[in-house]
Amino acid sequence: MNPLRTIGTGLLRVFSSFRLSVTLLVFLGLLTWLGTLAQVDRGLYEVQKEYFESLFLVHRVGALGIPLPGGNLVLGLLAVNILVGGLWRMRGRKNVSGVIVVHVGILMLFAAGLVKLQASNDGHTTLYEGESKSYFQSYHELELALLRPLADGKIEERTVDGASLAHANPSHPAVVDGQGLPFRVEVTRYFENAGVMPKGPMFDAPTPVIDGVFARPKPREKLNEQNGAAVYVDVIAADGSVQNGLLWVYDAHPWTFDVAGERYALDLRRKRFPMPFRVSLERFRKEDHPRTGMPRWFSSDVTVDSGKSSRLVTIFMNEPLRQDGLVLYQASWGPSNARPGDPLFSSLAVVRNPSDQWPLWGCIVIAAGLLWHFGRKLIRHVSREVARP
Amino acid sequence: MNTQLSLNAFLPLRRTAVLLLLVGSLALGSRAVSAAPTLTAAAHPSATAVQAAPEAAPIAPAVRARPAVTARKVDWSKTSLVVAGSLPIQDGGRVKPLSTFANFTLLRLNGKSTAKDQAGEKLDSMRWLLDTFVDPRRSGEYPIFQVQDSATVHAIGLEVDTKKKRDRWSFAELRPAVPKLFDLAHEYSQIEGKNRTTMQAQVVMLAEAVDIYLGLAGFLDFARMPIPLSEGGILAQEFGTARLNFSDLVRRGGDLSALRSRLEKSDDPLEREASRELASVLRFAADLGRASLHVALQPPDAVLSAREAWHTPGELLSSAFDGMPATAAELAGLVALERLGASLGSDNTVDMAEAEAALVALDASTGPIAAARGETRRLDLEVTYYRLDLLMYALAAYILAFVLAAFSWLRPAAALLPRLTFGAATVGTLLMVVAITLRCIIRERPPVSTLYETLLFVTATGAIIGLSMELINRRRIALYATAALGMVGMFLSNGYETLDKRDTMPSLVAVLDTNFWLATHVTVITIGYAAGVFAALLGSVYIVVRLIRGRASAPEFFTSLGRMIYGTLAFGLVFSLVGTILGGIWANDSWGRFWGWDPKENGALLICISQVAILHARLGGILRELGIAAAACFAGTIVAFSWFGTNLLGVGLHSYGFTEGINSALWTYYGIQWSICALALVVGVREASMVKSQVSEPPATSARGRTTTPAT
Repeated sequence: MNPLRTIGTGLLRVFSSFRLSVTLLVFLGLLTWLGTLAQVDRGLYEVQKEYFESLFLVHRVGALGIPLPGGNLVLGLLAVNILVGGLWRMRGRKNVSGVIVVHVGILMLFAAGLVKLQASNDGHTTLYEGESKSYFQSYHELELALLRPLADGKIEERTVDGASLAHANPSHPAVVDGQGLPFRVEVTRYFENAGVMPKGPMFDAPTPVIDGVFARPKPREKLNEQNGAAVYVDVIAADGSVQNGLLWVYDAHPWTFDVAGERYALDLRRKRFPMPFRVSLERFRKEDHPRTGMPRWFSSDVTVDSGKSSRLVTIFMNEPLRQDGLVLYQASWGPSNARPGDPLFSSLAVVRNPSDQWPLWGCIVIAAGLLWHFGRKLIRHVSREVARP
Repeated sequence: MNTQLSLNAFLPLRRTAVLLLLVGSLALGSRAVSAAPTLTAAAHPSATAVQAAPEAAPIAPAVRARPAVTARKVDWSKTSLVVAGSLPIQDGGRVKPLSTFANFTLLRLNGKSTAKDQAGEKLDSMRWLLDTFVDPRRSGEYPIFQVQDSATVHAIGLEVDTKKKRDRWSFAELRPAVPKLFDLAHEYSQIEGKNRTTMQAQVVMLAEAVDIYLGLAGFLDFARMPIPLSEGGILAQEFGTARLNFSDLVRRGGDLSALRSRLEKSDDPLEREASRELASVLRFAADLGRASLHVALQPPDAVLSAREAWHTPGELLSSAFDGMPATAAELAGLVALERLGASLGSDNTVDMAEAEAALVALDASTGPIAAARGETRRLDLEVTYYRLDLLMYALAAYILAFVLAAFSWLRPAAALLPRLTFGAATVGTLLMVVAITLRCIIRERPPVSTLYETLLFVTATGAIIGLSMELINRRRIALYATAALGMVGMFLSNGYETLDKRDTMPSLVAVLDTNFWLATHVTVITIGYAAGVFAALLGSVYIVVRLIRGRASAPEFFTSLGRMIYGTLAFGLVFSLVGTILGGIWANDSWGRFWGWDPKENGALLICISQVAILHARLGGILRELGIAAAACFAGTIVAFSWFGTNLLGVGLHSYGFTEGINSALWTYYGIQWSICALALVVGVREASMVKSQVSEPPATSARGRTTTPAT
């Protein structure tokens, strides 16, 4: 007997087995349950990365660490199990057409999830009435932008992914090459969450003081979008002169500096993604249920200008705008402490997700398969029972 | 009534209300209203009646020192009760009958929707509310504040010797300690809810209840207290009277506003004196109006106003001074309220005929406006819904079905008892269906949009599944399970209503305001819950019966029951899986992502995973009948976790269904189901050891040359 064939058959048997299905489902259930409980103390973002978007993890129960397969590994193996056991080995069997259809639908969901994980961007564009933007910003990811005014009044932007700065320290700074510019930028310190405050005379600052202020590191927030990152940067000119800067993600304006008589700016900010159209907020409406503070309705009337044409669209809860591969949703509004007559802003969530509608098709396929399979069984069972004396 | 207000916000206001109530409504039993002292007291709350309780010495309940209010001589007329009950009120973001408002307000205060007066006579919620509006001194004696632990009232400095640990207190008894109650509640409300001790939480709840009561008892203060003017003064000349009614002020609001402007600029000392008097009058009127801020009984006139928010008397006054005069119909409503307030005579008895006339007049003035605004279309239906009390009859029918089922266990051969059981369970289920349908019509919503409605819907759906199953296989197992499920489900929904103490037909937050998704995702997944719970119930029956009787005693029974469990799980899987994915599609349209690992989403996923795992384990021969029954019980706890447990975590985007106090019920259910799982283990071990012993005694079990192994 061919040993390779034997191994192949053995692997096929393992990967198509019900035992593997049940084991993986139990692990998936366990991960889901533990990941749900962990959110209470650690927040969704961190838990999602650790439990559901990982290959392995160690779940802590007090001092005890329990190693577990991560969500990506379990779901990956489950996809293989469905492919091999739920489709390939079922071919040609009787009365399993519905089951095969269901498994196809489940695989469509898996594919949608995979595409979303790998190829989607999400964020928000926040606008006051009358304001317009042609980009959206990530809720979580950061970038360091080097800005250079051009002669025609435009601004040239060069960006560095915030993730590449995360390990910067004075001994091993993250170096941003000027690429033809007369200086380079070194990020010497990175804080995932920090407050920037003035240095007073009665205490020592734990970090360098620049222009009278310093970054005070703070513990991570449970809600990741509330973390305010800060970096210390050195701008080192070609002649060796150094300018120090402190950048904070909540700064209202970029930090400007001059090198060789030209002005530049550095900005630590949420990552920006361009949109193929410009969105202008014409009017934001918010209604509460009468005599309560409970929101009943909020919507944004926006003009979407693609360069060739423009149209007025109303975006409200459960009714997003879909255009050019992007989906804009009514997410929130503010400021929360606005008084009557104060200008309001509207925050529109923006998602670029190539698999946006796949779950809907998957749902239709799954529902059809389940109804076909169990419907037939039910009819057979009822017929048998009715015929019973 | 927005009862979720932070105490921080209402404390200063409530202080004024406390004062007004004490100076006005309660002490007004004598009707001795004199001009100067009243105004002085109103302007200087700390100076008179309300004084904080001393820290060291507990205060004896005030009722001891007060003359007892005499027992009621004349009851509210039937007309008064009917008219008042159907009056529209805007509360919690919607227009509802006053009877609904009365029911849920009393439920919140008293823990049930009836009360007892000081003589121990039972009062329905409408009588209580009318007493509180019209005769607050009397209603102040009703023990309607449910206190779970006497430590709460001890903490605010009251003596608790005369009361039980868990008892009901009247406002009159609590009154001396109200300032301290509000102070403590203000302090404790700074603490995050989950970090409060039980006593702190109860102090906050009691303060909220007292605040609600004060808002109601002070509602007609404006009507009970004519505003005195200085005799011979400019104002008295202007109005031609020494006493003003609140409605006079509203009617002349524009003139008074102009008069105030003129007097303030005047150099004439007399006119400046009149200016001060006017300011004092207006301040007092504003205080009176502020006491009524929670009760909005008057719709804005449809002809003149497109505004949605209804008026309170205080708001009518503010609007009048802001240059928006009240219309004739609005003034007529205000005058009717004044008549209602004035129906309390100087001898502390209510002129019931006058009160009835006032209520009829109020209805005549507000009803047409509300109807013209299209806000009363389903009001009568709501009154009918609560009057019919279909859910209570459904509970009675299920209890009857359960009792009949119990008797039929004792006499298995009797054919009539199962038929009667089926009839009673069917009646209960039909009543549920009618009740849910009425709710859908009243709300113009699909059947499920709140946690309370999930209980009703799961009970009804579970019962329909059970009865359908019984019609198909006629083995009585599903019938008995239906009776049990119906009874427990109705007890739970009643318990939830009592625990939640809020209108069960509330307004919905923006994201839920979509009938399409409520009808699809929510309805479908709730059917999945029902199937999961019913499968767990059948699994429990399987395990308990097998523990008692053993499988060999009736293999056909257990095989059939096993099939029913499997069928219910499969049915549940269809709805849970499709419902969960539909939820993801809704989330994609609302929040921009199909799946966000939010606790509620994870809970739904857990249900699907558990049901898929059980069906695969069955197919793979990993679980057989007993194992599937045990797994169905465990999956029932997963349904409960998804249904209620995830809401208790207090995180995620689905926090709109949060209800405190259901933790113990949830853990009770977990405990029962896990205990039954443990029993399944016992059954499995016992039967395995029996098989082993049979194998070790070949002559006894292999007489026909083979042994039988029970399906495990």
